[in-house]
Amino acid sequence: MTGLVLKRPSILPGFGLTLGITIAYLSLVVLIPLAALAANAAGLGWSGFWNAVLTPRVLAAFRVTFGTSLAAGLINAVFGLLVAWVLVRYEFPGHRIVDALVDLPFALPTAVAGIALTALYAGNGWIGGLLEPMGLKVAFTPLGIVVALTFVGLPFVVRTVQPVLQDLEAEQEEAAAVLGAGRLQTFLRVILPAILPALLTGFTLAFARALGEYGSVIFIAGNLPMVSEIVPLLIIIKLEQFDYAGATAIGTLMLMASFALLLAINLLQRWTRARHGG
Amino acid sequence: MTIDIQGISKRFGTYAALQDINLRVGAGELVALLGPSGSGKTTLLRIIAGLETADSGTVLFEGEETLNRHPRDRRVGFVFQHYALFRHMTVFNNVAFGLQVRPRGQRPPKAEIAERVHRLLKLVQLDWLADRYPNQLSGGQRQRVALARALAIEPRVLLLDEPFGALDAKVRKELRRWLRHLHEEMGITSVFVTHDQEEALELADRVVVMSQGRIEQVGTPGTVYRTPSTGFVYEFLGDVNRVECRVESGQVLLEAGGTPLGGAADHAGPAILYVRPHDIELLPPDERLGAATVRLVHEVGPVTRAEVEYAGTLFEVVLPEGGRVPAQGELVRLSIRRGMLFPRERDPGEPPRPFLPFRSGGPTPAVNLGPHTAGMG
Repeated sequence: MTGLVLKRPSILPGFGLTLGITIAYLSLVVLIPLAALAANAAGLGWSGFWNAVLTPRVLAAFRVTFGTSLAAGLINAVFGLLVAWVLVRYEFPGHRIVDALVDLPFALPTAVAGIALTALYAGNGWIGGLLEPMGLKVAFTPLGIVVALTFVGLPFVVRTVQPVLQDLEAEQEEAAAVLGAGRLQTFLRVILPAILPALLTGFTLAFARALGEYGSVIFIAGNLPMVSEIVPLLIIIKLEQFDYAGATAIGTLMLMASFALLLAINLLQRWTRARHGG
Repeated sequence: MTIDIQGISKRFGTYAALQDINLRVGAGELVALLGPSGSGKTTLLRIIAGLETADSGTVLFEGEETLNRHPRDRRVGFVFQHYALFRHMTVFNNVAFGLQVRPRGQRPPKAEIAERVHRLLKLVQLDWLADRYPNQLSGGQRQRVALARALAIEPRVLLLDEPFGALDAKVRKELRRWLRHLHEEMGITSVFVTHDQEEALELADRVVVMSQGRIEQVGTPGTVYRTPSTGFVYEFLGDVNRVECRVESGQVLLEAGGTPLGGAADHAGPAILYVRPHDIELLPPDERLGAATVRLVHEVGPVTRAEVEYAGTLFEVVLPEGGRVPAQGELVRLSIRRGMLFPRERDPGEPPRPFLPFRSGGPTPAVNLGPHTAGMG
């Protein structure tokens, strides 16, 4: 019977086929592995689960992971918007090169990025050498994690905002100017609302990517328990200690927390889109 | 408020968009900048608004230099061709925008803003749509919102860039009439850009015909239509036959020869004759005067047009309503009642020569036109 409901006459061909493939694909790639993870963790039972998870070290790792990811996502939202703006609105020598540079964090193995950043920001590195006398320690602190996550998440905001900025007619800005709006007013009241949905998407992607990031972080973080240890690393540590149940428990909690956050952001996005009339 | 445009020039790279434009728009006047695309009309409008800078020349508002002022300080209402409404704002907020962004000291209180916005929306007959978003409106409604938004800042000058260009024919006509009324009511000095001659002639107090960055002619709609000062204006305003000809001893002849079409004073040599299709009459053929052949007859709504070939030249003719419609291939005689002659080589600014029609359609005394005459009248 459900088949009948789904099968509405439509000009677009292949609805049944493509939806079938989509569901099978998503199940195979996302749902089944995640369900296996949850099932594995369920073997612990409720009390075993909470015992494995509610330890100070695990909670601290969660705080570090979510805190640094959020910070990196926000930094990328601000500066990624700026980069996208410059790339869309101005022509300058080297425009193409800058445009290509933006994608580099996607292509680079994250471990390479981690090693490079650590070398730069360590006390004896170029940047670290300048910052440390000022009392600012970056490498081997949560600050270093933020730096690594910002690097990794940069392309997301730029690449989601860029096309939307391109579509935004210059006429809207001209209209605002003729109506008496200053530059800041034009940005805050005309441009920002128009690109907000795209900016939120970019932020979400950068944030989600940062939550799962492992390779670049472990080099620069220093991995001090309670201070600069991230959740993915903690899971690896548990695995190395053959504590599979503990690892899956932490993984499941991570999964739930990430899913809840992403869902919330998605709803927020939907709300802004509806409010702004698409 | 008067607008004085003095010696404005503008280049885009090597392309001269505007060349030494001088124009004065009187207080409360409604002026149309009319021209084909690329004639510089929109560039001129944008320079008046301050959205574009001029390479040289000045623009004075009420005698006061304005070019160095930022557009936001000019108090100009600008209506864009594609509306440029703020998509994420309701109609109300679009219209209120110009008031809301004012510095705190000059900003009217909230209640007053609301009242003014509603008054403007009533003026454009869209009060009931205040809470909608622009993409929920039709094209004509959007354009009226754009107009209300422009009027909200109480502009000293209203500038409209192809205001009806993106609308369909029926809505365009309605809005045109409505805008004319609005202008009469409010009396704001207004300039609008259009490539539609009908729109310019119907709406404007004065029409500025532009071509290739220059002003071809300025005048009331009647003047530019009836006495175009250049061939370009003749061609741009309404349908016209452009006939290559030469003048010999006061007679206008086609290049291929044939009987003279009419007479001309003080000119000899090659010239171009402009004749409107409805200024040509078809008469029964006369062997002594040479015959023309009807090549094509087609009806377009109320008018019937014919293409008539005479000595290798095609003439477009509008047949009088209710008259006899000739058949394809029929032999007829052309009689040109009115036209204008532009000598091939003439100094800019030199006036065209009037075309002198032969009184009854031929150089010889009136001929007996035979039984067809009554029908062709």
